[in-house]
Amino acid sequence: MPRVMRSSWLPHAVLLTTLTGLAATACKGGGSGGGKQEGGNTVRIGVITSLTGPQAAFGKAHKLGYDIAASEINAKGGLLGKQVEVIIYDDQGKPDQAVQGATKLMDQDHVAILLGAYSSETTRAVIPAATQKGVPLIMPTATADNVVETGSSWVFRICAGAKAYAASMADFLKNNGAPKTVAIIYENTNFGQANGKAMEAAAPASGMTVVANEAYQASSPDYKALLQRVKDKDPEAIYYASYLLDATTLMKQTAQLDINPKYLTAAGTGFSAAEFPTEKGAGKFAEYTFSVSQWLPSAKWEGSKQFDDAYFKASGSHPAYHGMQAYAALIVAADAIKNAGSEDHQKIADALRKEHLDTGFGPIAFDAKGQNAHPVLVTQVQNGQFKVVWPPDQAEAKPILPTPSWSERK
Amino acid sequence: MASLFWSALQAVIDGLLTGSLYSLIGMGMALIFGVMRIVNFAHGAFMMLSMYVTYLLFDRLGVTPYLGFLAAAAVLFVIGFATYHGLLRWVNERSEFMIILITLGIAQMFIGGAQLTFSGDFHKVNTPLSGALVHLGSHITLNGGDVLSFVISVALAIGMFLFVMKSRFGRALRAIAQNRYAASLIGINVQRTQAVAFGLGVAAVGLAGGLFLPAFYLYPEVGSGFNLKSFVMVVLGGMGSIEGAAIAGLVLGVVESLTSLYWGNQWAVVVDFVIFLLVLSLRPAGLFGSQRV
Amino acid sequence: MTQRRAILAAVGFALCLLVPLVVQQDYQLNVLFRIALFSALGMAWNLVGGYAGQLSLGHAAFFGIGAYALPLFHDKLGVPIPLALVLVIVAAVAAAYVIGRVSFRLRGPYFALATIAFAEVLRLSVKNLEVTGGDVGLQVPALFGSISPTRWFYLAAVVLAAAALAATAWIVRSRFGYQLQAVREDEDTARACGIDPARTKLNALIISAAFTALGGALYASQYFFIVPDSVLAIDLSERPAISAMLGGAGTMTGPIVGAILIETALELFKNVFHEAFQLIFGVLLVLVVLFLPEGIVGTLASWWRRKRAS
Repeated sequence: MPRVMRSSWLPHAVLLTTLTGLAATACKGGGSGGGKQEGGNTVRIGVITSLTGPQAAFGKAHKLGYDIAASEINAKGGLLGKQVEVIIYDDQGKPDQAVQGATKLMDQDHVAILLGAYSSETTRAVIPAATQKGVPLIMPTATADNVVETGSSWVFRICAGAKAYAASMADFLKNNGAPKTVAIIYENTNFGQANGKAMEAAAPASGMTVVANEAYQASSPDYKALLQRVKDKDPEAIYYASYLLDATTLMKQTAQLDINPKYLTAAGTGFSAAEFPTEKGAGKFAEYTFSVSQWLPSAKWEGSKQFDDAYFKASGSHPAYHGMQAYAALIVAADAIKNAGSEDHQKIADALRKEHLDTGFGPIAFDAKGQNAHPVLVTQVQNGQFKVVWPPDQAEAKPILPTPSWSERK
Repeated sequence: MASLFWSALQAVIDGLLTGSLYSLIGMGMALIFGVMRIVNFAHGAFMMLSMYVTYLLFDRLGVTPYLGFLAAAAVLFVIGFATYHGLLRWVNERSEFMIILITLGIAQMFIGGAQLTFSGDFHKVNTPLSGALVHLGSHITLNGGDVLSFVISVALAIGMFLFVMKSRFGRALRAIAQNRYAASLIGINVQRTQAVAFGLGVAAVGLAGGLFLPAFYLYPEVGSGFNLKSFVMVVLGGMGSIEGAAIAGLVLGVVESLTSLYWGNQWAVVVDFVIFLLVLSLRPAGLFGSQRV
Repeated sequence: MTQRRAILAAVGFALCLLVPLVVQQDYQLNVLFRIALFSALGMAWNLVGGYAGQLSLGHAAFFGIGAYALPLFHDKLGVPIPLALVLVIVAAVAAAYVIGRVSFRLRGPYFALATIAFAEVLRLSVKNLEVTGGDVGLQVPALFGSISPTRWFYLAAVVLAAAALAATAWIVRSRFGYQLQAVREDEDTARACGIDPARTKLNALIISAAFTALGGALYASQYFFIVPDSVLAIDLSERPAISAMLGGAGTMTGPIVGAILIETALELFKNVFHEAFQLIFGVLLVLVVLFLPEGIVGTLASWWRRKRAS
């Protein structure tokens, strides 16, 4: 450890002056996207998503969705007579970086509108900044409900939230055998806690009592003790809120412990991931599980199949709903800007409020809180495929009930 | 009443299975931190590298992780040796602060490199054993893959212990740990022995990583959670004690499992740290350690 | 601090205060806010890590306590903001006392590990408990009125950094400062000279914790919303330590230099290197440890002295 330095003031002063200059350079928004002027020759749309960090895979899906939407719009002539330029900021999955990105996009790049972020935490963090500066923010994938409960009039959410998930699943259960007891298993994060709470609130209205409420530390290798606790309560239904890794582990270990509720249900995400029923996920252990979904490539909405094709062509795999949500967010943003006839933030926000647009993601319209009443689908894994089984008007197959026990399955 | 007993027993056995993998990680750290006094914050990152190597062998060449892990460990030995010889040896004499910082830097390098090479995508390995079940009587069910990992881990742990205790290399290493200067006087090549020891420690965590792969997922940040755990094991087991760290790994596995059973899975990791703090305050020498803290 | 340096510092402080007149954009003020804040945090850490020689990697605990204490006292208990800030300091001092009493009995790496463990226990507990909002997080009251423009936060951070610098300068010249450094150099000898190492280290930690917690409360308020991982994560412990070390632990202005470098580097790298940024950061850290062990200011000072001597 160095001793106290009786250093002279000269090198200090020189050093600090140099550093101040360096800091000033950083402030000029180093690298790409440095201080563009308003009224340039593109319409700039700001995107915040997680290109690196633990959510990087989803950020990639977002980016592709945005890119596809932007190319489509530009191919048709762009917006307001100019080309659309999407400026993406990587928040690395961190809320403070997301805020930094939002301020940069608003202050330096003068974007007409903000889209993002990916996760509930990063999205929630951006809201105060967007609200303060009066820039409309369209949220494509954040499902925690606190993002529409802030009272801000500048936020608009495309996707359905945790409450809608739980209500939809509870409704499905009520109309398909009406189980009396449910156990909730959720990861100990924003996403998990929000969905766990939502089911806790929705269950009684559908005649179910919550008999177990188990939070877990995500990415643990062993959940058997937790599952044993659930097994002891003998629930008729289980509601999981997990990402793909844990969804896989949980299903394998549910089978291992021979837990056989009548219904294995989940709050989307991991249980709705494209890999979940495949060998890359839970494989045969995924069979018969019910999950909520925002969208599937087989959805009956106009534009859905085209997006699936474009995405598959660009990436070699089929999109999960995150890519679709990003795409829809940009399409809606473009439509609102077109209707507003200008890049003025207030006019765009007003146009969004009045928006009625049919997209591949379904019909989009925002209520007073900025929430789009996106219908939540319930799917079941049948023969390794996701099939929509609820609501009846969107269903493509009947639910297979009761769920065969593990020993009955081959 | 009986079912309470069986639940507890199941939890204990599951804890031992998971704990056996922790043991390998802990033994690696015991070599590096316990014996060499290197505060290695890149331990988890090394594990992640091993998992990627094992994954690549599985994905490209179809080698099962239950064999691939050996190759991964060999690769990791080389990486560990090179890391020590190229980077750590210059900093080893200086303060712990420097070692911590440089290993943090090394960890960032590995994670950043993995992110660039493999992207943030998750990878999963499914082997025929992944779904296989082993039944012990009518009350206990175990996962086949986990049982195999356990058997391999125990065998490796015993092997490692014997090697460090009985072999000439092991004795040289312990001599260095006791008194570096004296060891060099009697002709031990200190730097080389240390580089090999570091390589071995990293290889140990490489073994664990490969075995862990079928039970887990793979992404660049996967190792981060194991850094602290490995320090906990070394402290719990006692500094300088390889067997202590191994036992500590099993203890942690069981404690986590029982905490999950009685209190909730979300508290399992917290309990690890609480135990750590208790050991540090009340019995810093750990279970088997004899050295002053 | 010699008079010349004191004048320089005062001038520098005044200049920093005038910056918002020139820099108007929130994004830029945000970057400057972070620089000022992490300078303050680095200097606070430096009291324990640089001068007392105790490598703490758990300072996130104090940061997080400050960040959470503000909304908990103000929103949940209805305490007015000025009093809430006082309570933030009280909470930090209490935590420092507990953590210090347990950890300072340990030496070297054990101390560092213990501090990490404390911070992690805190983070996980906050995540699990309802009262702290779990992982869903808490809304944080605005410290400077409901609009709270960024420039006020920047100014507050500059004031905090100045206070930390002043505190460091005062301590270094005082008897307490000599006791700290004596303990750092050789604890046993220090005890033989009649210094109580435990008490000395504890006092340093308490002062350090108070500054760090205030920084945490400021940070929390600037973002209006906190989750456990944004204020209690281990990289918040590592950052001040790395800044101080990079600039020169055990020097007065080292942490400032380090903070400026780290924050600007992070900001620039992110925009320029995108995905390679983490790798490059790691490489740089390794290089700095290998070639600049005394930190920038430390190395400069050694070079200057050698030059003077020749």
